[in-house]
Amino acid sequence: MTPGFLCAIRGPVMLITLGVLLSVDHFGPVGFGRTWPVLLIVFGIFKLLERSSARSS
Amino acid sequence: MKRSSIVAPLLLIGFGVLFLARNLYPDLALIDYFARYWPTLLILWGVLRLAEIMVWTATDKELPARGISGGEWILIVFLCLIGLSVHTVRGFESWWPKSGITMGGIDMFGESYDYPIAAEKPCAKAPRVIIESFRGNARITGSDATSVKVAGHKTIRSMEQTGADQANQASPFEITGDGNELTIRTNQDRVSGSMRVSSEMEITVPKGATIEAHGRTGDFDITDVTGNVEITSDNAGVRLQNIGGEVKIDLRRSDIVRAIGVRGPFDLKGRGADVELQDMDGQVTISGAYSGVIQLRNLAKPLRYNGQQTDLNIEKIPGQVRMALGDFTADNLVGPVRLNTRSRDVRISGFTNSLELSVERGDVELRPGKLPVAKMDVHSRFGDVEISLPAAARFDLNATTARGETYTDFGAPLHTERSGNGGSIRGSNGGAAITLQTERGKVTVRKASADEKGFQPEVDAPERPEHPETPEHPPAKPVPPKPLQKVDQ
Repeated sequence: MTPGFLCAIRGPVMLITLGVLLSVDHFGPVGFGRTWPVLLIVFGIFKLLERSSARSS
Repeated sequence: MKRSSIVAPLLLIGFGVLFLARNLYPDLALIDYFARYWPTLLILWGVLRLAEIMVWTATDKELPARGISGGEWILIVFLCLIGLSVHTVRGFESWWPKSGITMGGIDMFGESYDYPIAAEKPCAKAPRVIIESFRGNARITGSDATSVKVAGHKTIRSMEQTGADQANQASPFEITGDGNELTIRTNQDRVSGSMRVSSEMEITVPKGATIEAHGRTGDFDITDVTGNVEITSDNAGVRLQNIGGEVKIDLRRSDIVRAIGVRGPFDLKGRGADVELQDMDGQVTISGAYSGVIQLRNLAKPLRYNGQQTDLNIEKIPGQVRMALGDFTADNLVGPVRLNTRSRDVRISGFTNSLELSVERGDVELRPGKLPVAKMDVHSRFGDVEISLPAAARFDLNATTARGETYTDFGAPLHTERSGNGGSIRGSNGGAAITLQTERGKVTVRKASADEKGFQPEVDAPERPEHPETPEHPPAKPVPPKPLQKVDQ
């Protein structure tokens, strides 16, 4: 996975995560008020992947 | 050439389809759907973008620096703001721990703890019973006893037992007041934080009781009470059966309001989905926005319905009326009947006195059936108008279309005239005035055949959502539709 590819899919994946969390807020058991840190986690994972892929290439 | 995304054109198409649907079916509760499902748009958007990037990678094209541009993020923020505010305004709960999907009794976020509630208090024969705002379901039944009795249980969702125990002590169940006015109080509001309390109550009251109930979320089932009933709730399904007094219901949301056998006036306000009324002795007033199916059967006093797109007044409904999205079907009505609607196909059979009908867009089909034929004034802007008159009918008919065909097989005294793109059918044998008018559409005047039936509104439509919460209390069986009535010849 190239850094360019990771950079490109970061936005869409964050958007999907946001959509899922808000859907869970509307239909599921927990509010967005509780699940928002998932966004930070996803973002952090991307940053980690970008670092490691930049180092390996 | 700059490679552009397919998301923008798809968004345009999507909006086009939505607005078109809105124009064709003005009753479609688009805002409600949006309020509920808007996060799906975000997911779709993301998935589309992701798929696009996958395709570009696979075909070795140059990738954009960012998957979603700055402009798109701004759009997304706006979408979120609008979605969240609509969601909150429409009375959906938000920003609040939900009741939860239970998996084998254990909730994903904490467990449910049940505590019994039971209380009894003697009272007068016809007390006023007030149920204070609470979450959960209540079933209220009238009996011959002279006491108010509550049995049921309280459910507290919590991560651990001690927290639930504390919450249970903090929200004691109580019945207060004297014999003439009692208040049932669950004190759920005293529990704060992430714990959620809901109560299931079986309440037995003296037959003569007057009920005033306030709810947050949950259903009310009230049976066999001769006093008045007043319900206000943010979100409730309401089922009433055999009520002696006046009924007033005010809801911000509901999936169903069903009433069978109410003696007094019935007044329904607010928003909801399905409405089913049957065997009502008092005047019925319905106002607000109802997105589901409305079914009315056997109403002895005048009906006044005041919806978003539809106004309906009927003197009496010995038969039935069914209103669904884009459709109005009625059989056996006592006039004067007045219907004013934007976009519905209207079919009415067996009506008397007079009919005043105005449709913006939709076909009209009338089978007056009964003699003497009612006075009619029918206007449709876009749509066909068809009437079938009994052979023995007396009328003074004037049917015109500004643009469209004319057809009649009635014979004398009717005659057809064509003018330009339209035409008219006229004729009189000295009866009630029948005026049919359409600006664009076909006009048909038929002679009713001997075996012609009235329209049978499909009662108990399959799309009606069944209610899972109260399976052990089946709704009263609807009276089977009356036998088809033949047209007098």
